[in-house]
Amino acid sequence: MMSDHPIRDRPRSLGTVLLAGLLLATGCSGDGQGGTDSDGLEVVNIGFVGPLSGGAAYYGRNVQRGITMAADEIAEAGGFEVDGRRFRFEIVSLDDRYLPYETATAVRRLLQQNQTPVILVPHAGGIRVVQEMNTREPKFLLAAYSSEPSILEAENPLMLMLPPRFDGYQEPWVEVMMGRFGTRLALVPTTTAYGRAWTEAVSAEWTRQGGTLGRDHGVDYNTTTDFTGAVSRALADEPDVLFIGGPSQPTALVIRAAREQGFEGGLLIMDQAKFMEMLDIVPIESLEGAIGVYPVETYPTPGAPLFAARYYERFGADSPSPTSEIAINYQALYLIARAMTLAGTTTDPEAIRARADEAARTLPQEVRVYEVAGVTDVGLITRDVFTAHIVDGKFVSIRIPVPGGAP
Amino acid sequence: MTLFLQQFVNGIALGSVYSLVALGLTLVYGVLKVPNFAHGALYMAGAYVSYVMLTSFGASYIVAMAVSVVVLAVLGGSMEWLVFRRLEGKTPVHAMIAALGLLFFMEGTADVIWGPTFRQVPTPFDGVVTLLGVNITEQRILVIVAAVVTMVGLYLLLKRTLVGMSIEAMAQDREGALLVGIDTRRVALLTFAISGALAAVAGSLIAPLLLVFPNMGELIILKAFVIVILGGMGSVPGAILGGYLLALAETMAGTYVSFAFSELIAFGLLVLVLVIRPTGLFQKGV
Repeated sequence: MMSDHPIRDRPRSLGTVLLAGLLLATGCSGDGQGGTDSDGLEVVNIGFVGPLSGGAAYYGRNVQRGITMAADEIAEAGGFEVDGRRFRFEIVSLDDRYLPYETATAVRRLLQQNQTPVILVPHAGGIRVVQEMNTREPKFLLAAYSSEPSILEAENPLMLMLPPRFDGYQEPWVEVMMGRFGTRLALVPTTTAYGRAWTEAVSAEWTRQGGTLGRDHGVDYNTTTDFTGAVSRALADEPDVLFIGGPSQPTALVIRAAREQGFEGGLLIMDQAKFMEMLDIVPIESLEGAIGVYPVETYPTPGAPLFAARYYERFGADSPSPTSEIAINYQALYLIARAMTLAGTTTDPEAIRARADEAARTLPQEVRVYEVAGVTDVGLITRDVFTAHIVDGKFVSIRIPVPGGAP
Repeated sequence: MTLFLQQFVNGIALGSVYSLVALGLTLVYGVLKVPNFAHGALYMAGAYVSYVMLTSFGASYIVAMAVSVVVLAVLGGSMEWLVFRRLEGKTPVHAMIAALGLLFFMEGTADVIWGPTFRQVPTPFDGVVTLLGVNITEQRILVIVAAVVTMVGLYLLLKRTLVGMSIEAMAQDREGALLVGIDTRRVALLTFAISGALAAVAGSLIAPLLLVFPNMGELIILKAFVIVILGGMGSVPGAILGGYLLALAETMAGTYVSFAFSELIAFGLLVLVLVIRPTGLFQKGV
């Protein structure tokens, strides 16, 4: 099953590295905003600051792949129009190794050298730092890829929150899990800031619905070598449901450890972990009774299968499954292009942000992987969300209504 | 009681993992006198070689490990020959920076070749054994047994062979070893080769339990350093006992206090040992 990986990934990884080098080179040469390339398209630089090396590199590259795919498609289709001129996107990527202070440094560099009107940051820590920066001159639009609801608290006027906020998940998920498995919950979540926020939300909801909580046996999924100890301890409380989650791959190891030790109950999995990636490591039988975010490929919207087809066409049929990291950021870049068209500017972040809601509502059907309904005043992109519960080896969808009401 | 037994077994399995990595590190410390950060990268490379042998060449698990041992012995030896030999006579800071550079260089190389994707190493030993209510996977049993075999093998090599005795002599006193006619360069080269082979054994054994990715060595090498310092820099029995000690301390503290503190325990133990017994628990005075 995994035997084709080394061959499959080699050209792309090399390509990514070369591309990143090339982008850096053009960045350093002071090329900046407003150049025209050989196709007669003017260039708008989009900044991306995320983990491209270190343990979270896989995650960061997925996000990068999503926006790069959208940028390439847009360029191949002849660009997008703004005020009578045609533009394409160039993605300028900088590595922050998941460290917020590095994010700040990289953002400053992007602003000085590449005049990026939009910068995408894929982690809550970095987003909070950048929220302090983007409303001062030079202003820029912060595309925030994190489901942590607290990033909305700053009420940053120049932010778009791309994924659904995670606090919509707990109520329906807890209900389903309690109904199927029982009322005792044990916790082995990751202990990052995001993981802690999730743990608090799920604990509160579990007790609110009348369940009993075991102690929190959380461990940092990014630094833990072996999960068996923590899992053994949690299972000693004889839970009906296990609350877990972090990056997909270590999450799969936690599941493997739990199943090896004979746990047969339900798995309530944080939205960071993706089923299709976990299925590369554990069989579907191990995921029986799990609840988590819905895989993109089979997402119940008309646009999702179209997106998946384009994805496989571009990257090859044996590529790893597209995850929501790829799809959400892909769609977001189209949304930003649309907002620029509507605003008639590629450089004024306030004008672009002001038209984001309209852009979401009028996004062309072929790039609507998710049925986005609009953008709220605080910048949340709203939509119906579908999550998945695995029953008899099949994904059963659970609809989460638009959080926070209509836009 | 079942929980205690289960956690004891978990701790011993984790301790075997730690000890296997720490052994190669402590061996090189004896010769180089600086911590070889690149050992984490050798461990990672060992896991990747086994992975490639198993998945692309369809080799059996034992053959894959054997190939990995040979490749990593060569890689370890070349590391000494190409880099550390040239730094002889320079301050230890030079070697330390070179080791760090090698770590990042090798991680970067793995990233270019295989990408940041997490890979799973298939193992023929994927069953679970249950005894007295304690669950343990066959691969973990293999790791525990193989760790003991490797340790005994290394002990015999050091105590019963000329090469081994030369390594020990050099670790104790480089100039003295030179004076009695030991070819210190050859011994240094061999030590690195053996340490590479040990990294390959560790990487190949542990990989099926965890996942293989370019930064996998960074996580474990920090723990290995703690162990080497706990056990006494350069001490082989210290690395073995230190590995088990640290793993059991982490697991038991996790079970009866909190897993959130298990990192704290590791580094707290380190500080404590450094304060009370700076030479490490098992280091004889020179």
